[in-house]
Amino acid sequence: MKISLNTLKYYVDINVPVEELCDKMVMAGFEVESIEKEGENLQNVVVARIESIAPHENSDHLQICQMNIGKDELVQIVTGAQNIAEGDLVPAALDDSHLPNGMHIVKGKLRGVESNGMLCSGEELCLTEADYNGASVNGILILKDTEVIGTDMRDVLGLNDYIIDFKITANRPDCNCFLGVAKEISVVLGTEFKAPKPEYKTVGGDIKDYIDVQVENYDLCPRYVGRVVKNLRIKESPAWMQKAITASGMRPINNIVDITNFVMLETGQPMHAFNYNDLSDKKIIVRTAREGEKITTLDGKDYELSTDMLVIADGEKPSCLAGIMGGKESEIENDTTDLFLESAKFRRDNVRHTGRALGIRTEASGRFEKGIDIVNVEYAMERALQLISDLNAGDIIDGVLDRHNGLPEERVLKVTTDSIIELLGVEIPKERIVEILNSLELPTTIDGNMLTTRVPSIRDDIEGRADLAEEVMRIYGYDHIVGTKMKGAVVRGTKLPERIKTDKIKALLNGAGAFEIATYSFIASKAIDTLLLPEDDERRNQVKIINPLGDEYSTMRTQLTTSMLTVLATNINKKIADGRFFEISKRFIPKALPLTEQPLEIPTMSIGIYGENEDFFTLKGIIEAICNLLGGHTQYERSAEPYLHPGRQALVKANNKECAVFGQVHPAVAESYGIDCPVFVAEIKLDVLLAIEKRKTVYKPLPKFPAVERDFAVLVDKTVPVGNLEKAISSGAGRLLEKIKLFDIYEGAQIPEGKKSVAFNVFLRSADSTLTDTEIEDASSKIIKKLESIGAELRK
Amino acid sequence: MKTQLEAISTQAKLAITEAQTQAEIENLRVKYLGKKGELTAILKQMGSLSPEERPVMGQLVNQAKAEVEALITEKGELMQQKALEQKLKDETIDITLPATEISKGKLHPLNTVLNDMIDIFTSMGFDVVDGPEVETDYYNFECLNVPADHPARDMQDTFYLAENLLLRTQTSAAQIRTMENRKPPIRVICPGRVFRADEVDATHSPVFHQIEGLVVDKGITMCDLKGVLEEFAREIYGKDTAVKFRPSFFPFTEPSVEVDVTCSECGGKGCRVCKGSGWIEILGAGMVHPNVLRSCGIDPEEYSGFAFGIGLDRLTTTRYKISDIRLLFENDKRFLDQF
Repeated sequence: MKISLNTLKYYVDINVPVEELCDKMVMAGFEVESIEKEGENLQNVVVARIESIAPHENSDHLQICQMNIGKDELVQIVTGAQNIAEGDLVPAALDDSHLPNGMHIVKGKLRGVESNGMLCSGEELCLTEADYNGASVNGILILKDTEVIGTDMRDVLGLNDYIIDFKITANRPDCNCFLGVAKEISVVLGTEFKAPKPEYKTVGGDIKDYIDVQVENYDLCPRYVGRVVKNLRIKESPAWMQKAITASGMRPINNIVDITNFVMLETGQPMHAFNYNDLSDKKIIVRTAREGEKITTLDGKDYELSTDMLVIADGEKPSCLAGIMGGKESEIENDTTDLFLESAKFRRDNVRHTGRALGIRTEASGRFEKGIDIVNVEYAMERALQLISDLNAGDIIDGVLDRHNGLPEERVLKVTTDSIIELLGVEIPKERIVEILNSLELPTTIDGNMLTTRVPSIRDDIEGRADLAEEVMRIYGYDHIVGTKMKGAVVRGTKLPERIKTDKIKALLNGAGAFEIATYSFIASKAIDTLLLPEDDERRNQVKIINPLGDEYSTMRTQLTTSMLTVLATNINKKIADGRFFEISKRFIPKALPLTEQPLEIPTMSIGIYGENEDFFTLKGIIEAICNLLGGHTQYERSAEPYLHPGRQALVKANNKECAVFGQVHPAVAESYGIDCPVFVAEIKLDVLLAIEKRKTVYKPLPKFPAVERDFAVLVDKTVPVGNLEKAISSGAGRLLEKIKLFDIYEGAQIPEGKKSVAFNVFLRSADSTLTDTEIEDASSKIIKKLESIGAELRK
Repeated sequence: MKTQLEAISTQAKLAITEAQTQAEIENLRVKYLGKKGELTAILKQMGSLSPEERPVMGQLVNQAKAEVEALITEKGELMQQKALEQKLKDETIDITLPATEISKGKLHPLNTVLNDMIDIFTSMGFDVVDGPEVETDYYNFECLNVPADHPARDMQDTFYLAENLLLRTQTSAAQIRTMENRKPPIRVICPGRVFRADEVDATHSPVFHQIEGLVVDKGITMCDLKGVLEEFAREIYGKDTAVKFRPSFFPFTEPSVEVDVTCSECGGKGCRVCKGSGWIEILGAGMVHPNVLRSCGIDPEEYSGFAFGIGLDRLTTTRYKISDIRLLFENDKRFLDQF
């Protein structure tokens, strides 16, 4: 809420510099967004007297003026204006001056003649008649001859004000107005608060003879107050009012409209003025819109209304969108003679919904949405009538139509001072607590340590001891809060087992050279298509955001691979030669679509690698290490993910549970990400890995007897997986097997077509004795037999 | 014979002293001490001596042999030593040549900072808990004292997934789940991902991270809140860091405060980073609102508590002076390698 300091001074004594005021308000809970000094955009413009005027040789409309600016030397300024005479006092913008219209004036030559500035018009200074007499004249602004030569124009115009922008928190809608802020200032500074006491003259008559007000829906309109003003005398509003309105970001229009706006800014209560003569049947009906009804609002736009929208209608049709904007038809214009004035409370959610539905937000609707006080409705009306009376803007008819369904009773809170002190931990003297609450217009008495506080309806944010504690503390001062150690047993904080395990996985991956990445949880709706999944793949059952920032961020991901591919592409495109990356996040799996309950959020990990030294097996090594870390024994099977190379991908089982799919990314998929080199990705079900119960580690005695190494080289069909050969060796060697190590695979010269040569080192060892030659020979022949049984032939 | 012995001995000692290489030394050993060596030869002449002279001469020869032997050994070791020194000298390397790189990855900077925070808070007795990212309207708003159409809902733009389901806008929702599942005393932090409909720019991201803290017990005061936050601030920003409370508003705490710490850049003197104020706003906090306690079945007359919410992304960008929050989500390896 922007308020001018001079306006605030009307309601409260401010005896400190503006910066100090703002600091104090911040510490009382009113953040200051900005302090703007008036006239900052008007610099180096002074009162000057035209000493002489001479014609310009090279121009028939330019004139050369010698200007007295109160210094020893005259200043030469060339002007195109014709409304000047020698001896006139005018505003002169000197060299390097700034005007409020954005102009920056520097000296220069006009058709060969030096000009050291510019004479200004009222328009160039952004002045109206209200600011200075004669400001609207077409030509240079001629100043009163009582002005003093050399005076800065800011002083002439009285531009000594500050505009302070207070951030009003959502719990204090009562402070969205001059009076609310001024009240707080009076408490903070300990100075007097002076709210206007409305008094006005009426001209007799009876409002009942003029109009009838019916409220059909008190739920949506708990109070509606109406008055009639006749014989309007519409003109400009006074300068002080225009300044106050302008400072708060509104535009002056005429005295009646300005009064309604000023009262809203002053009291927080939006007002609306109807042209009385445009109201059919002389009726005001507060009701919801009927099917198909339309309205044209003040800004000339047409809206079709729905039946949940509250309107102020006359006998025929909607005349105003309740709390939001008036209708064009009943607008106050310069020839309007009679006025129906409204001050009302509308339910904030209705105003909000209607405003959202129609896409309108106004100063008034914003205030209704935040909530206004039902009691203040009447005060605002009185204040508006006072201003109409004071400004002689019309004749007020006697009588008020005040429709409501009962006003709320004052609430009484009973809270002990101890309970406030216990919450804060600060010993505030009881008397001070009472004093602070009373100064905030929360009338409070004390009996022993029991406080009795009467809470006015305008402070419906105050519900109990916590609220009172806050009110007391923000005025008493938060610097009184001194840090203490919590009482209670000394305890050690714990982490969930999942977090501990995940941290270990991350440490392992970091050790393996992998960088952790972070990507958004939502992806583009089409991202899943890049994986070429079949139509019925369950990963296509994605949760959509109803109101996304755009399609790019519209869909909760069911997998992490698409995000990983994007990161790999980013790095590859930046010519980074290689990389290992991983992400641990969640995949969102709906239990049903459309969504009826929270989706499953399943811990998931992705790994992506690329570079000269990376291949399927480096990724396999990483995955195996992770599985082993968590106590998982791995097995691999061929898989058929469409986004992976059909011959270079595998499904991983840890302790017989499917836990991952990995492999080289299909070149067509890679290409769709702009990737032109081999990249390898894994999508890992972290939930499966985290659920593995790791067996307790028990020490195994170190071997006492030597191992024997035997090499086996076999010829076998190309299609036989090495894993099968290993299984054969393993079953042949039985319990003597210590380790199998593949050391060569060869195809080509000297190997028959369709065959490959595979060679292993096999390590045999017994825990009980040194192996005898017989035992070794026995094991070897069993191994060979097993190998032969699957079609492998020992190479001689 | 004695003269001959002395002559050989003197000659041998001189030769040993003058010897320059290990090979020369070896030759001298053979020349004097070998089977056909000169000193050995003298011993062989012993037969020509009288029985009285023999032991005397024998002793002299053996003494001379021992002396020469000792000298040769000594010289030999010296030569060996020298040879080793020379070898090592020849093996000298350029220590400024680049190191052989070991592969090393890093945690994402957000998690590096988060782990520091977890360490600080677990040491103060806070348990670390998790909560769902997709929340119901009830947990994200209702229970946090933000009823439907409350103006506070305008403070945050929410992503909705269904009428009643949304992406949590704050980790505070986890407060509620914690209070429903645990009985006081409660001390937890809940780090996690949160979402708001902010357009992406240098300082805004629709996805960001918070760490929620919650304490509920008998007799918890606002001074305790300040005590915990001071402890935290000193660990993160240095031991001289001061903490300041400014009144504010959050629907789920009352009283509510914004918390400032002395600017770590200028130590509170005022600089560009703190816009001259000497303070940096780091988090929001307050005493848990009685309505919130009540809706979790905790009696606000018996228990009180405090809650705070720290923005992890902001903490990370200020710690490392990262100018653009988007860098955190771009995942350029050269960026990730810096932390």
